[in-house]
Amino acid sequence: MVTVAPSAVAPDTAVPSRPIPSKDGQPPKRARSVRYHAFLIIAAGTWFLPLLWMISLALTPNDVLQTSSTSLLPTALTLDNLFNVFNAGDLLRWFLNSFVVTTVTTALTVVFCAMAGYAFARIDFPGRRALFVVVIAGLMVPREGMFIPLFLLFSGTGQQNTYDALILPRLAAPLGVFIMTQFFSKVPAEMEEAARIDGATRWRIFVSIMLPLARPAMASLAIFTFVLTWNDYLWPLVISTKTEWFTVTTGLASLQSNFAATTNLGDLMARGLVGSLPLLVVFLLFQRQLIRGITLGSGEK
Amino acid sequence: MTSSDTVLRRPVTASPRRKQTLSRRTDVRDGLLFLAPFLLVYALFLLYPVVQSVIISGFKWDLLGAKPKFIGLDNYTHMLWGTDIQWSPGHAWVAQLIIITITLLIARSLFLRAGRRRAGAVAVAVVGLGIAFVLGFHPGPDGAWNDANFWTSLQNTLVFTLVSTPLLVGLGLGLALLLNNKRKAGGFYRAIFFLPYVLPVSAVTLIWSYMLNPDRGLIAGFLNWFGLSGIPFLSDPNLAMPSIIVTTVWWSVGFNLVLFLAGLQDVEPSLYEAASLDGAGYWKKFQHVTIPGLSHVFVLVIITQVIASFQVFGQVYIMTKGGPGTSTEVLIQHIYEAGFKNYQLGYASALSVFLFVVMAAVSAIQFRLIAKDA
Repeated sequence: MVTVAPSAVAPDTAVPSRPIPSKDGQPPKRARSVRYHAFLIIAAGTWFLPLLWMISLALTPNDVLQTSSTSLLPTALTLDNLFNVFNAGDLLRWFLNSFVVTTVTTALTVVFCAMAGYAFARIDFPGRRALFVVVIAGLMVPREGMFIPLFLLFSGTGQQNTYDALILPRLAAPLGVFIMTQFFSKVPAEMEEAARIDGATRWRIFVSIMLPLARPAMASLAIFTFVLTWNDYLWPLVISTKTEWFTVTTGLASLQSNFAATTNLGDLMARGLVGSLPLLVVFLLFQRQLIRGITLGSGEK
Repeated sequence: MTSSDTVLRRPVTASPRRKQTLSRRTDVRDGLLFLAPFLLVYALFLLYPVVQSVIISGFKWDLLGAKPKFIGLDNYTHMLWGTDIQWSPGHAWVAQLIIITITLLIARSLFLRAGRRRAGAVAVAVVGLGIAFVLGFHPGPDGAWNDANFWTSLQNTLVFTLVSTPLLVGLGLGLALLLNNKRKAGGFYRAIFFLPYVLPVSAVTLIWSYMLNPDRGLIAGFLNWFGLSGIPFLSDPNLAMPSIIVTTVWWSVGFNLVLFLAGLQDVEPSLYEAASLDGAGYWKKFQHVTIPGLSHVFVLVIITQVIASFQVFGQVYIMTKGGPGTSTEVLIQHIYEAGFKNYQLGYASALSVFLFVVMAAVSAIQFRLIAKDA
C-alpha cells in the first residue's frame, strides 16, 4: 500500500461524503454547501426540538399549561418554576446524593483504574497476564443483571440507603482498567528508566511521572464515569428505598408516576431541566474528553 | 484496535539495567500493591455477585419469610419449561425461517472468507439452527408455560434489540458520513446529535412521555394543526414499543455517531486518493474504501448496541411500566419484578444467570472478532 502523507491530500478528496467538485453534472460548490447546511440545520433542529420544548415548558406558568401545553414556544413567560425547583420536595437532597455519589465514584474509579492499569502495563510480576484476563473477562458481565446478589450483599449488612451501597458496586469497572492499561503500555520505557536510575521508588515514579502523562486518559475516563454514574438508574432504584436516599435520576423518575393528571407540568419540566443541568454543563465543557472516553472505552484507537 | 493481547504483549522494560535496580521481589510486591484496591472491589462487587447469583439460583430464596431451601434446577425448569410441552417442526415458522436465513447468510460470508473462520461459520450455523429447533417447542392444547411472562419479556427484548440496533447503527453511520468533513459548523451539528446522550434516563422519559401524550403532547399539538386528533402512543399495545424505540434512538444515537466518526477518521486518506485516481465515483468509494475500512467499527458498534439493548430497562419501566398489558415488558424488568415485587430472589437469580449466559455468548463473539482483527 502506498502511503501518502495526510498533508499531501486535499481535504476534498479525503472526504467520502463529498464528491469531487470538478465532477461533471454537479451543481456548483456554493449551492451544494447551502443545500448541505439547510439539510443539517433541519435535521439538527428536529433533534433539538424535544429539549427545546422541555425548556419552553419549564418557563411557562403552570396554570397556562393546564389549558394548553402543545405549543413549542412559551405563550407566557415565568421564572417561578425554576425558582421553585428546590422549594418543594426532596430535589435538593437528591442533588446532594447524586453529587456525593458521582464525585466519589469518579475520583476512586480513576485512581483505582490508573493504579491497576500501571501495574498491568509496567510491572512484570508472575500471574500478570492471567489476572488481566480475569479482569477483562469482567467486561462480559451484564452490568444491569447482577443486582440481586448485590442487593443481598448490602441489605444483609444493613447498608440499604447509604452512600456506601450507592458507590461501591460502581467501582468494579474493568473498562477503566482496560483504558488505563492501554494508555500506560504506550508510554516509552525510557521515561521510567531515568527516574529509576536515580533511585526513585515505584510509587514516586507513578505519582510524579506516570500520572501527569496520563492526564488526558484520566480526564476522559473521569468524564465518562461521571456521566454514567449520574445517569445510573437501576442500582439506585434497587438499593435506595427511602425517598431521601434517591439520586436525581431515580428521584425524577419517581415524580413521573401519573402523567395525565399532572397539574404542575411547568414545575416538573423545570426539575427535569435542573436535574440535567450538571450533565449539560459537563457536556459543554468536556465534550471532547467525553467523546474520547467513548472511543477509548470501546477499544477503538 | 487493541485487544487484550496486544496491550500486554509489549516488553515492559527497555534495558537490562533495570534488573539491577529493582529485584523480582519488589516487582511482585509493587504489582500486588498497585492492583490491590481495584482487585478488592472487583472481586467483591463483580466476581462474587456472579458466583453468588449462580448459587442463589439453585434455591427457593424468598426475600421475606422462610429460610432459603435448595431446590436444584427447579428455578430453571420454572423459567424454561411448562406443562404439556410439545415439539413440532413448523411452530413459529416465520421466526424460524428468519433465523435460519440470517444464520446461513452469516455462516456463508464467514465461510467464504480466507483464514480460520471456518470453525466460526460452523459455530454460527449450529447456534442458529439450534435456536430454530428450540423455537419448535410450545405448550400443547391443555398445557401452558410455567412462566409465560418470561417468554413475553424475552420476545419483547428481542424485538426491541432487533429493531433498535439497525436503526441506531444505520442512523449513526449516516450522520457520521454527513459530518465527516471539514465544513464549517460540523462540530456544532455533532454536538446537537450527541447532546441527548448525556441526559439521565428520567429526563429523557420526562420529555418523551409528554411529547407522546395524546392530549397535552407536542406531537398531538402538531397533529391538531392538521385537524387530526392525538394518538395514544403509549397506551396502544401496538404503538408502545415503537414509541420506546424512537425515544431510545433519539437518546443514544450520538454514541454510535461518535464511534463511527472516530472510525471514519482512521480510514487511510490515501485509499480515497487512489480510488479517485482510478476514477471511482462516490458510491464506489463508499463500497470499496469506506465500508471495508469501517468493518471493525461495525462489529464493535453492533455488538455494543446489542449488549446495551438487551439490558434495556429504564426508559421502558418509567414510560410504560411494561404495559399496556405486557406489551413492553422486558427481561430486566421481569428480573426486577421477580425479585422485588414477587420477592422470589432465587428465581430472579436464575433469570439473571440466563441473561448473563446470553450476554457472555455475545461478548465472546466480540472478543474473537476483535482478537482476529488486531
